[in-house]
Amino acid sequence: MIRAGARLLYFARTSLRGIAATPGTAIVATATITVALVLVGAFGLVVLNMQALLARVGDAVQVTAFLADGLPEADRAALVRKVAAISGVARTELISEAQALERFKGGVGQGFALVEGLGTNPLPASIEITLELRYRTPGDLSRVASAVASLPGVDDITSGADWVEGYVRALALVRGLAIGLGVIFVLATTLIVSNTIRLAVLSRRDELEILSLVGASRSFVNTPFLIEGLLQGAAAGALAWALLYALFRSVLPGFEAGLAFVLGGVEPRFFDTVETAWLCGGGAALGLLGSAIAVAAEARH
Amino acid sequence: MTALVRWRSAAPRGEPKRAPAGDAAAQLFHVSKSYVAGTYALRDVSLEFRRGEFVFLTGPSGAGKTSLLRLVFAAERPSDGQIVVLGRNASRLSPRSVPELRRRIGVVFQDFKLLARRTVEENVALALDVVGTPRRAARTRVFEMLKQVGLQHRRYQSPLSLSGGEQQRVAIARALINEPDILLADEPTGNLDPDLTIEIMDLIADTATRGTTVIVATHDQTILGRYRKRSVRLEGGRVTEDRTAPGSAP
Repeated sequence: MIRAGARLLYFARTSLRGIAATPGTAIVATATITVALVLVGAFGLVVLNMQALLARVGDAVQVTAFLADGLPEADRAALVRKVAAISGVARTELISEAQALERFKGGVGQGFALVEGLGTNPLPASIEITLELRYRTPGDLSRVASAVASLPGVDDITSGADWVEGYVRALALVRGLAIGLGVIFVLATTLIVSNTIRLAVLSRRDELEILSLVGASRSFVNTPFLIEGLLQGAAAGALAWALLYALFRSVLPGFEAGLAFVLGGVEPRFFDTVETAWLCGGGAALGLLGSAIAVAAEARH
Repeated sequence: MTALVRWRSAAPRGEPKRAPAGDAAAQLFHVSKSYVAGTYALRDVSLEFRRGEFVFLTGPSGAGKTSLLRLVFAAERPSDGQIVVLGRNASRLSPRSVPELRRRIGVVFQDFKLLARRTVEENVALALDVVGTPRRAARTRVFEMLKQVGLQHRRYQSPLSLSGGEQQRVAIARALINEPDILLADEPTGNLDPDLTIEIMDLIADTATRGTTVIVATHDQTILGRYRKRSVRLEGGRVTEDRTAPGSAP
């Protein structure tokens, strides 16, 4: 136990001493990981916010079936029952012509005078259909819309399927880009970091030789380098978080109008605690991986 | 110089002269080492080094002295033959077992091999760090060791601020701090003037009196004449002479 503690202290001391001895390589490694994390983190933020929007609009996404003019009340009620029986339908609400007009009046505000000028109510009765949460997908929206449209008494149908489908496609594209870029950045960063750390290993080859002479095991020799990589990666993660936060706070106000359109009123959000831990952990893992590759390459040499 | 020829490798077949069981620190059985095909650094060498024995390895440059030392501390594997060091077959040691063996062997080089970025104390403590000695205990032991080599007052200095002789004393302190069973020294006085040479050799010779097997590779005839210990001469990778001074203590 005492020996393990002494070793831990030795590793911590040697790692910090190693960073101090080769500050150039430490800065390059940390900066490289930081850049990669900022780029991947920026895409991550976009994906997170787009997902938040999708989750929110999911509540509002519904199918609206407009009923034929003059459909008797009994037929309307029967129609509502048939619609409610369709798989995936969570709730139905019959909106009469008068209710539709009231809503319209409430929605258009200043344009109310235009409606008044028409004299008659031009709005049809409708059934608003809300789907169960797990069925709020473009496919199920289309399926339910088709099923409802085929029912007698339904004149027209609208659904958010097209919009949702487009949005989901955009989200998948951004997510795919983030993953693709993430993989490329991870590979490129690992390569750069491993080569950078290898420079540090090479610059301390005399030390490694002496350690080997006095009976140091490979793990004893390698561990300080792994800790160095881990520390540099974690520092890069914290730095990337700070840069992203600064960008989020300073750049966001300039794009508020555009974001309001894209995010549909969803308040843009930054990383929460868990996501921040993932960012820093990702940096640490990148540093560790780079170091592990460097020491393995040196051991082969 | 009155010397007895102990045995020659002119008749190398068979096992080397055997000391009583358990008395051998290192044994080489028909060991050959080749770095390039067809060229041998060592050829069919059979030797035994007893516990507590002081042995000089002599011979011209390129005779195979360094190769022999490297084989003993398992930095190399023989191309042929077997080496038993401290009861373990060094020619078949797994990479994981090599560090364990090396912790029982101290090594001193001509170029000292000290870390310029660390203090004298830290350089000596390296060998203790490797075995996980707690810091406080390590500092005490390093102080005692440095006191033995007369450098306790220099412990916080960089090795670069020391003279060649002092640097070699630091290297010896590092090699001895774990009380090794074997001390290997490869031309330990090669970079030192005659006065310092005697000082360092006295220090190394003193180690053998405490039970450590000492093997010193040197081509300095003055040292050989002064210490009159067993001397093994290598030429072209072969043992050409193995003799000891009469009445000399091992």
